[in-house]
Amino acid sequence: MNVEMRDTYRSFGRNRAVAGVDLQLGTGVFGLLGPNGAGKTSLLRMLATVLPPTSGEIRLLGQDPRGAAARREIRRRFGYLPQSLGYYPSFTVVEFIEYFALLKEMPSSAVPAAVAAAVERVDLGAKARAKLRTLSGGMLRRVGIAQAIVNNPDLLLLDEPTAGLDPEQRVHFRGLLRSLGVDSTVVVSTHLVEDVGTACSEVALMSAGKIVFRGTPDELTARGEGYGVGDAPLERGYSAVLAEARS
Amino acid sequence: MTIPNDPGPLPPAHDPPARVDLDRVWVGVAAEVWRRHPGRIERTAARLLRSPGLARALVTTPSLLLPWLISTAVAFGVGALVSIGPGEPLVWLIAPGVAAVGLAFAYGPGTDPAWELSLSCAVPDRIVLLARGLAVFAVNAALGLIASTVSGAAVALTFGWLVPMTAVCALALAVTVTVRSAAVGAGAGVAAWTITVLASQAVSGQDTAAATNVHAYLPYLAVAACCAAIVGYATRPRREF
Repeated sequence: MNVEMRDTYRSFGRNRAVAGVDLQLGTGVFGLLGPNGAGKTSLLRMLATVLPPTSGEIRLLGQDPRGAAARREIRRRFGYLPQSLGYYPSFTVVEFIEYFALLKEMPSSAVPAAVAAAVERVDLGAKARAKLRTLSGGMLRRVGIAQAIVNNPDLLLLDEPTAGLDPEQRVHFRGLLRSLGVDSTVVVSTHLVEDVGTACSEVALMSAGKIVFRGTPDELTARGEGYGVGDAPLERGYSAVLAEARS
Repeated sequence: MTIPNDPGPLPPAHDPPARVDLDRVWVGVAAEVWRRHPGRIERTAARLLRSPGLARALVTTPSLLLPWLISTAVAFGVGALVSIGPGEPLVWLIAPGVAAVGLAFAYGPGTDPAWELSLSCAVPDRIVLLARGLAVFAVNAALGLIASTVSGAAVALTFGWLVPMTAVCALALAVTVTVRSAAVGAGAGVAAWTITVLASQAVSGQDTAAATNVHAYLPYLAVAACCAAIVGYATRPRREF
């Protein structure tokens, strides 16, 4: 298992963002769905070792991230795209990805080829030497995805990766996700249920800090049969599970 | 039907190579075209620090324009106050703290745009901070030295504050790479400066002796040089068994 969470909690003051999550994940693309404030981003930030849990146990890639050496080793092997990607406007696309490849402690001799491959995988070859300040929001998102995958991570954590992407790029990105999920664990937090339906092998739905559903997209769809809210079958399943959890 | 003068199959040398992965070839070409060749400073820093990532963080500090401007403005702004203000320049003693605060604000949530990403990287974010701090102070010290050739006030500013601060930063970095803890390194730097200030005060009876005593300038430079050597030694490439 690349991700193991046991009875994990995270609070901010009196607000409990994550409330007793148990999660075990192997390879594949795992979708994390839920409304705003459900705790998806907090969960992802804990998996990214950016945010320590208030209580509970987390093991990533077989190691406990509480130890500095283990955390460093984990960080070499994962990729992370935060919800709001900060960037240095004066850097070019290649410089930005290269910078984070080096901070991930990739061997410097392997960095140029890895950066070029990552740039090509997100279809940004034509903008490789463009300054980040000149790129559109969707292109910046793709730069963020490229820096996340540059080290061929065993664990890939993506928070709202398709936000700002045009439909063509979203289709392209779903294909990329599926290919990455063959050998790695990919966790995708998203609001867009169609991303989950086409790219994810498994999905969890969060509400009020808890996982209220876990199964395949087909199983989530089945939960929505006969439920009226939502345009697409998967949306109806999403709405039905949420309504049940809230009641 | 036969084809006259049929040359037969091409010899093997003229066969197109089977299964050429053009994507792979292109990535190799793109890597060569796009790659950023590190300059001499970055290559040297990478060898000394034994971390290409940290070396890149060090040399790209000027590219991070806002933090660079903040730290430089704080450094020279406080320096100007020192030159203009009457009486004992007590501000010299808190100036390293002011500059450290400027640097701290130059690297953190809300100010470093990529802070969250940096936080999730293998190279510890605090070590990146120390590297940036050292880059800022070293360059400021160099600017001060250049200015010293023009103005006497700049000499006082440079040696009374920037050089000691460079030494403190170098000490903090040396401790950090030796014990592999940025917090311990930063604590050691602040503690060393505090002890220096208090000891100078006790010996000379002057509050600002740590910054105004010209006899201390050389030791500061020596400490900075020694710490740089320690950084080099502690991060030297080790032989494989």
